[in-house]
Amino acid sequence: MITLRPVLLILLAFAVVPTYGQQLTSDELKFFEAKIRPVLIRECYGCHSNQSGNVRGGLRLDTRELMLIGGSSGPAIVPGDVEESLLFNAIVHEDFVMPPKRKLSESVINDFRKWIAMGAPDPRVNKISEVQSSITDEDIANARENFWAYQSPQKEQPPRVRNTQWPSTSIDNFILARLEQAGIEPAKDAEAYKVLRRLCFDLIGLPPTLQQINYFEAKWKSSPEQAITHVVDSLLKYDQFGERWGRHWLDVARFAESTGREVNHTYPHAWRYRDYVIDSFNQDKPFNQFVREQIAGDLLPAKSDEQWASNLVATTFLAMGPKNVNERNRVQFAADLIDEQIDATTRVFLGTSVACARCHDHKFDAIPQTDYYALAGVFANANTYWGSPPSEFGIFSTAQTRRQSSLLLLPIEDPNPYDPRYSKKELADLRADITSTIAEASQSRRDRAAGKIETQDAVRNRLRTANRLATLSTKLAVVDENGEPHSYCMGVQEKRDPIDVKLLVRGEIDQPAQTIARGFPKVLCATPVRIANDSSGRLEFANWLGSKDHPLTARVMVNRIWQHMIGQGIVTSTENFGVTGQTPSHPDLLDHLAVEFMESGWSVKSLIRQIANSRVYRMSTAYDEQYHEYDPGNALLWRANPKRLDAEAIRDAMLSISGEIDFDRPRGSEVAKAGYLRVRDGSLGDPRANAREVVERAKKNVMNALQNESGSRGPGSSRMNSFRKGMGRLNAGQSQPQIKPNSPNITPRGRANLLMMQRYGRFGMEGATSSQRELIEAAVREATALVGNGLDMEHAKYRSVYLPIVRDQAPRSLDVFDFADASAVTGVRESSNTANQALYMMNNPFVIRQSKGFASRVKQIDGNVSDQIEFLFLLAYARPPTSGESRASEALLRSYGGQARSLSDSTLSVLCQSLFASAEFRYVD
Amino acid sequence: MHSRRNLLKTVSAGFGYLAFASLANRVKAEEQANLNPLAPKSSHFAPRAKRVIFLCMQGGPSHVDTFDYKPQLAKDHGKRGKYGGTLLKSPWQFRQRGESGLWISDVFPEVAKQADDLCLIRSMQCDQPVHPGAMTQMHTGTAQFIRPSLGAWTLYGLGTENDSLPGFVSLSPPSGTSRNYGSSFLPAIYGGTKVGRSGRSLPRLSRGGGGESVPDIRNPNLSDKQQRRQLDYIQSLNRGKLQREKYHPGVEGVIESYELAFRMQDAMPELMDTSGESEKTRAMYGVNDPRTANFGKQCLLARRFIEAGVRFVEVTHGNWDQHVNLTTDHKARADACDLPIAGLLRDLKQRGLLKDTLVIWGGEFGRTPAAQGGDGRNHNNKGYTTWMAGGGVKGGFSYGATDEHGYEAVDNKCHIHDWHATILHLLGLDHEQLTYRYAGRDFRLTDVHGNVATDILA
Repeated sequence: MITLRPVLLILLAFAVVPTYGQQLTSDELKFFEAKIRPVLIRECYGCHSNQSGNVRGGLRLDTRELMLIGGSSGPAIVPGDVEESLLFNAIVHEDFVMPPKRKLSESVINDFRKWIAMGAPDPRVNKISEVQSSITDEDIANARENFWAYQSPQKEQPPRVRNTQWPSTSIDNFILARLEQAGIEPAKDAEAYKVLRRLCFDLIGLPPTLQQINYFEAKWKSSPEQAITHVVDSLLKYDQFGERWGRHWLDVARFAESTGREVNHTYPHAWRYRDYVIDSFNQDKPFNQFVREQIAGDLLPAKSDEQWASNLVATTFLAMGPKNVNERNRVQFAADLIDEQIDATTRVFLGTSVACARCHDHKFDAIPQTDYYALAGVFANANTYWGSPPSEFGIFSTAQTRRQSSLLLLPIEDPNPYDPRYSKKELADLRADITSTIAEASQSRRDRAAGKIETQDAVRNRLRTANRLATLSTKLAVVDENGEPHSYCMGVQEKRDPIDVKLLVRGEIDQPAQTIARGFPKVLCATPVRIANDSSGRLEFANWLGSKDHPLTARVMVNRIWQHMIGQGIVTSTENFGVTGQTPSHPDLLDHLAVEFMESGWSVKSLIRQIANSRVYRMSTAYDEQYHEYDPGNALLWRANPKRLDAEAIRDAMLSISGEIDFDRPRGSEVAKAGYLRVRDGSLGDPRANAREVVERAKKNVMNALQNESGSRGPGSSRMNSFRKGMGRLNAGQSQPQIKPNSPNITPRGRANLLMMQRYGRFGMEGATSSQRELIEAAVREATALVGNGLDMEHAKYRSVYLPIVRDQAPRSLDVFDFADASAVTGVRESSNTANQALYMMNNPFVIRQSKGFASRVKQIDGNVSDQIEFLFLLAYARPPTSGESRASEALLRSYGGQARSLSDSTLSVLCQSLFASAEFRYVD
Repeated sequence: MHSRRNLLKTVSAGFGYLAFASLANRVKAEEQANLNPLAPKSSHFAPRAKRVIFLCMQGGPSHVDTFDYKPQLAKDHGKRGKYGGTLLKSPWQFRQRGESGLWISDVFPEVAKQADDLCLIRSMQCDQPVHPGAMTQMHTGTAQFIRPSLGAWTLYGLGTENDSLPGFVSLSPPSGTSRNYGSSFLPAIYGGTKVGRSGRSLPRLSRGGGGESVPDIRNPNLSDKQQRRQLDYIQSLNRGKLQREKYHPGVEGVIESYELAFRMQDAMPELMDTSGESEKTRAMYGVNDPRTANFGKQCLLARRFIEAGVRFVEVTHGNWDQHVNLTTDHKARADACDLPIAGLLRDLKQRGLLKDTLVIWGGEFGRTPAAQGGDGRNHNNKGYTTWMAGGGVKGGFSYGATDEHGYEAVDNKCHIHDWHATILHLLGLDHEQLTYRYAGRDFRLTDVHGNVATDILA
């Protein structure tokens, strides 16, 4: 159940359960059996045991381990410490009241006090067995020696080829050699416009502009190589590069601005990580440094506070995973959190799934369960910060958010525009409100204990006050004592005094076995990595990942980059380089690229430049039936892979072609604006409350406007009342009591205003002045956006990477085109073609608006219809129309009644929309 | 190569219809299935049911208050249960119903009248004691990973019968549950199409004011005729591209998607518009009564979808989670869906659809026979009841049993994996053969588990 106990900084301790090593003495045993066990069975098991299946408050009392783990509020028993033992707290009716209906007798309570003081001797101990791994050291050594992915990549000499004219770079030798072996001719070069389109979408996620098209076409005629080199070099300098490649990274990093799961809570500060990633790609930050910062940024030396802040933000990577904030058991929650960190880290950086070994030895890879808990020890020594900071009154949990966490205060002042500021009075009001709510809560608890109120009423009261406290406290927590905003980020911090964790049998928190020394997956360590006693090993882990000897880090990243450029990875299972993953199509090329990547100083831009300049990249997608039968998956790369644009590129391309795109980076995000709250109903926060808030605001504005116009100082309160009621109609869908204009307590003036407001409530604008109209329209727009499609952000014009990413609530423009599931590590997105997408392209207001923008651009072209059509095709496809397409386009325009020289905008925009909707627009061939 | 592609090259209009017409012939089904992943496919063996309506009861309806009669629980009321806690007898009377004499409580008086169609499975078990986990396991077989939903597996196995509608429809699913009707690693086309948004409380404020049930289903500016012209033009561009490229499954997919979408624009609103249903039919589903209108309309829609050839329809009815206020709230939940469900069964029956439509009712788990507070029950995943009707199951039949109080399944246990295996079996699919290769291994809905409950087969 909920607790109103302010829990200052929740402990995220991993399941560190001290084992009871000694044998119980016969006296101890006798005491437990005579005095304790019968009481537990009689009074507690009914609601708190595996046996009964009831685990209220997440608390189970069946075994010693379970008592030490405790429930949602903390450990039930702390051996030797009566004060800290919540079970004792409950039976003396301090913060908890147990058993619920009556108090145990004084003598029983004394027995428990005595028992806890003597160390809570308890024979109900799971037999702790040492779990023996079925994977032997020899198996591991074998795998290390024989499996390709576990050996350090070796620099490979580019193979010799017969057709020495073809290769442009060493990459091409690797590809061509295999094709020649198979007797396959590589496809010819693609046409210039297709190559340019590829380059622009692949590097910056936008279509080529007219200038780029003209320049490239001209340059291509004299030297395709130079044309490509020049364009690549310039595109790599664009800020849009980081937005494109940063988003690829956000896919694998399972970036999201909310917890996901059933109770979906926002992460208002996750956007800092988004920006950090984009900036890192734009700076061409060495990839190994990028890795180190995300895993152990908090432990890296920093030359300045700015760098320190940036390093802290990087560790958001570990903090922003999906979470079940409604988890009852804090130990379970902590174990799940670490599991998620291990899973994401190993799959993102190592292309290896270690999390499989949480419950048992990995079934296929040489990763024993002990390796999992060795790594769990590394992560267990960090506190993860993801929630909302405590206010001076503490942190308050509610029925929905049982698990809480604070945030990290940034070492620099870096507020975003949405961080709230409060006046002295607002601050004082908040504090007073919290204080009285706390008092109310305690009173209600006392009343319940005294039997003064019904249990159900008490429960209701507690739910209500808990929610209120949590909301108020969150509001107060984000400012300093003067009401100025604090700057926070998500991330991790090291605990003191590192510890090892115990292996958990079947991954169950109440089944601890032997303690496992901290370490890394042995199969990946050619030489064992040493972790000092006073170090958690996380920094060592980060350094190890980014080291040149590491067999996987460079390979995995190189493969990701290759996949985005070429359309499929050399290893197609981008997150699985293990035994069950796909074997590399070109292992020698993978190694070659990995080594060059490391030698280039882990430069992502260099690698992209190299691939873009290769002959392979320039191939056409020309189909060949014979080759297709031989190699249907195009593993040998006998042609280029047609690629469907991803959701962001489709949206950004429409915005770019319509000319409406806003290239300025929005600071923060919609989620930051909304703050820390639960996402419900596809909107940030309670949709009704949101609508009410908008209406309230609008009401004030309209009120001021009216007052200014009439210059009257009418009786404010009744006017306000009438407005409130009138504007209440904006809350359509809520049953709003009808206000009778003849109601006696409304003044005549109020009545007149009320009638007007009722009209506005129906969105009728008759009789309103233009300024009133604007205010009301703005309010309605805002309310509609919030309530109708708040998170779809249909009116936003900035790049897609900045749209709010709330788990399970991706904006429609992204969701419809196979956006990455923000709860999963996604190296390869789906690329489906669904009816839903077709409906979106045919009917969505955003698409229609961009088509109109596109049409008005086309309209500005001097010339006849065929000139306009050519311009239109150039913008959409980067090529002029074929003669057939020209004819069909003119026919379409005619059929809509467009005359040659006087095309209406709407007719032209139908044509523009058609090009957006067509297959060629969404495919890069 | 493929004859269909040759057709495409020569025929310039009506692509979609043509494609589906050829598919309907079922000639070389395998080859065609490769081309159109939604084309009807033959099952592994003769199916007993051709389509599914899944009435998903989110929150965990109490079996001991609905379909699992426990006289001993009433006798032992107030005593301590075997697993602790104080036993709580059901506030509702159980009675024998129909010719079969199935015991069903007064919570579901209307459904009880259809007792002879029901096949109760009173020995359900799953592994998850909490809502999200159990819900996900009920839909996908596991709570640990993101896996394809039952509906997606069904569509993957059987394809669909109507080219104007999606093959797997989830009506107003709770938000944040997309994985429960998702395709996961199966091709996206097998995922459930969400129709309607759950719990959107202010539809009148939404764009267009109509509370659109399918996003972007209407063009705000163009008439059908105008849009068809636009679409013909788009398709001419697409076909031109396809001809130039010779082989391009992606472009073929785009072409198909536009044809389906265009037809959906007509088919969906028409299907969603229940005003043409007779007053009698509407009354059967309780569409006119505010208490049952919401779920009634969804059940009616489910029938309309099924009738139109959709393979798998899921309807969700939520908030069965009565830790407190069992007596009033459980009854209120039941009242909202009792008549609609009974109406659905009756309507399917009178239309001759029940015999090959499998209707499934169930929550993610049941509730404890012991009380929580004075008037509530806790989660219970060790024993609970679901039921099936129609499509090849025995009517008026009870399968499996829980212990005397209803704590735990003891007889003919039906784990959620067994349940999945049985549903697939009824659809003519062998749960061990229905596999999909992903990340180097063959996955199935039932993982390495699952036994068909053959006793319930008619």
